[in-house]
Amino acid sequence: MRKIPVTVLTGFLGAGKTTLLNRILTEQHGQRIAVIENEFGETGIDQALVINADEEIFEMNNGCICCTVRGDLIRILGNLMKRRDKFDHILVETTGMADPGPVAQTFFVDDDLKDLFALDGIVTLVDAGHVALHLDDSRECREQIAFADVLVLNKTDLVPPAELDALERRIRTMNGLARVLRAERAAVPIDAVLDVGGFDLARALEARPGFLEPEYPFEWTGTFTLDAGTYALALAEGPDPSLKLVVLPLSAGEEASSREACERAVRRWAEPHPDLAPGAEFVAGASHGAALVLDGGTGVRRFVLRVPEAGRYGLYTQHLPSEFALQLTRDGVTTLPDAEAEVRGTHTHDEEVGSVSIHLEGAIDEKRLDAWLSKLLREQGNDIFRMKGILNIRGMENRFVFQGVHMLFDGREDRPWGDAHRASDLVFIGRRLDGDLLRREFARCLV
Amino acid sequence: MPRVDDAPPRADHELMPVWQQDVGDYVTSTVFTPDGALCLVGAGSGDAVALDGATGAERFRVRAHADGLLGVAVSPDGTRFATCGHSQSARLWSLAGEPLAELPGGGAAWVEHVAWAPVGGLLATGAGRRVRVWSAEGALRFESEPLASSVTGLAWRSDGSGVLASCYGGVTLFPMVAGARLRTLAWKGSLISLALSPDDKVVACGSQDCSVHFWRLATGKDSQMSGYPFKPRALAWDDEARLLATAGDANVTLWDFRGKGPEGTRPIQLEGHKALCTRLAFAPRSGMLASGAQDTSVLLWEPRRGTRPLRYAFLDDEITALGWHPRQRAFHAGDAAGHVALWKAP
Repeated sequence: MRKIPVTVLTGFLGAGKTTLLNRILTEQHGQRIAVIENEFGETGIDQALVINADEEIFEMNNGCICCTVRGDLIRILGNLMKRRDKFDHILVETTGMADPGPVAQTFFVDDDLKDLFALDGIVTLVDAGHVALHLDDSRECREQIAFADVLVLNKTDLVPPAELDALERRIRTMNGLARVLRAERAAVPIDAVLDVGGFDLARALEARPGFLEPEYPFEWTGTFTLDAGTYALALAEGPDPSLKLVVLPLSAGEEASSREACERAVRRWAEPHPDLAPGAEFVAGASHGAALVLDGGTGVRRFVLRVPEAGRYGLYTQHLPSEFALQLTRDGVTTLPDAEAEVRGTHTHDEEVGSVSIHLEGAIDEKRLDAWLSKLLREQGNDIFRMKGILNIRGMENRFVFQGVHMLFDGREDRPWGDAHRASDLVFIGRRLDGDLLRREFARCLV
Repeated sequence: MPRVDDAPPRADHELMPVWQQDVGDYVTSTVFTPDGALCLVGAGSGDAVALDGATGAERFRVRAHADGLLGVAVSPDGTRFATCGHSQSARLWSLAGEPLAELPGGGAAWVEHVAWAPVGGLLATGAGRRVRVWSAEGALRFESEPLASSVTGLAWRSDGSGVLASCYGGVTLFPMVAGARLRTLAWKGSLISLALSPDDKVVACGSQDCSVHFWRLATGKDSQMSGYPFKPRALAWDDEARLLATAGDANVTLWDFRGKGPEGTRPIQLEGHKALCTRLAFAPRSGMLASGAQDTSVLLWEPRRGTRPLRYAFLDDEITALGWHPRQRAFHAGDAAGHVALWKAP
């Protein structure tokens, strides 16, 4: 029997939940949708069954966070199943300040609901004009973002594009898994928020193959054709007091953003890199990177980039060039890249909430993995909001997929690896995650 | 010629129904009028359907709660019945299907529970976090303060002197006699069902955390039975208040409250169902127990004599309602596909 998909809408009061809800109901008019509202919204749609209920958050035992569920959902959804014409979809709108944990956990913990319903996705709306404020002072706001499968940056018409870009980058460091949509008046394609398969890992991966993209210590790459001689690297103050970069020669036809070139850049990145003061020189193609240090003085600082021989070079920067107004100039003329690309960065701006993604080659030992995960979730489950993984387990023909919410997780064998490259990918989203420690401990699970 | 049967013959242990009827949608409750003349059925469609008690023929049908009906209860004097469901009011009906009164729940929450006092003509309703008590004519007599969370079960004391309500956080006893004080039995857990022993001494509650919690009302002392694989919603007391039947998986687990029990005793386990047991009902007087399960079967037991089922009966889907005839040795059940049947017990 097909399980009924459940979509959870979260977001602060005024973020646009009710607007999105009304759009969904209007556009999905062929479907039978039940809406469970915890705030008295202004849902003006007749054909949907709208049920108002108090959010009843229950601790099942001992105050363990993973046993905190929504009792009202268990009761109401159980009762809704007592009719022949079942619903096609359930929407749960949470109160503005709600922690999404209990809603998500309800569908893992309760026996009846597990059999009948499938949590499809958590959609979090943020008011682009006001969220920056909440990000700093509200734990609930950060958690709603961290839990999301889909993040709708709403009311973008009220915010300048540069601010939106910065906001989106900040949100992505907190939740590297979610799909981010920009919208005015909550106008997003309905198929981007319903049936997203956020809790169905195989589908989530098909929809977002980027999940498997490796993460690099740099956020941006550019391919440049440079003449021999000296160039100026001009930059202004940015989000950090310094900007790390690597410049390496590219082979014929190679783009800086290609995986091979990025891997070479990572190796150079890992070498000790000198701090350079304004005016200092850096050689393109050096076997290490450099940190351009901005402190002292104001305005544009210039560094010298010496190009030993003409050719194509890849430039890799820790942050986006636009964040530092970075320009490469020669004799006062700006040299533009032939091609540029943003890449998924691993760094965070010291957010309390962040995501860590780990890629491992080689097979995993199932026993070691079990031992590690049980210990990790026991000790840090409160701080791990979501996790997803596809693992290459020794001796297993199939991909092992798993995902979890706090201490609860659900893992199973998926389709066979077949000809696909066997490797493991694991993503954590949570509070105060130690990425290096997680990487080391996960690597210890290798056979 | 040898062959394989995927449904082996059930020999003479299978009971054939006296009558069977299809009411068209998920059966949420079945109950007979005290004289046995009508069987009232609540359907997921929102209809209350009155079937002839002797033949199962449909006598009338009322659209009681358009979005779904959850509870039906017949008044002990056999003059009327109450319904509740996916709407903000409970309703009173005559036994001819005429509306008598509407009992508002006072808010946006559904009225999920209706229960008549065994004597005294009062009706209790549970809607959201409040319990209300009404006269048989539908006049509001009592409205509780909001409980800690939504009401999940209601039961009256046998003399009608008080009504008990369960919710997350415990059981509250609301007295219906002047001068008596409200009593709370606190438990930090989500109670999902409630059954009061016929001698009014013990209140038992199924709990979301896969246990049965119970209190002895004389002392307020509580205990817990745990170890159920799933949450034990179905609870039933026998007539003598000695055996409490519970089910948190395919097995029926019976606890004996005789003497110092059930603390320190091992329960009786009845094995027979192949899937989660969903409904339990003890017959009046005879001590016979009926159990219904997700595997579509209803089994009959005599738990004080043995642990093998006496008889089997079947419907077509998960058993969702179960009860005994008020006058005959017969039991009735409903299923999730809309079937209702009556069987004679041996």
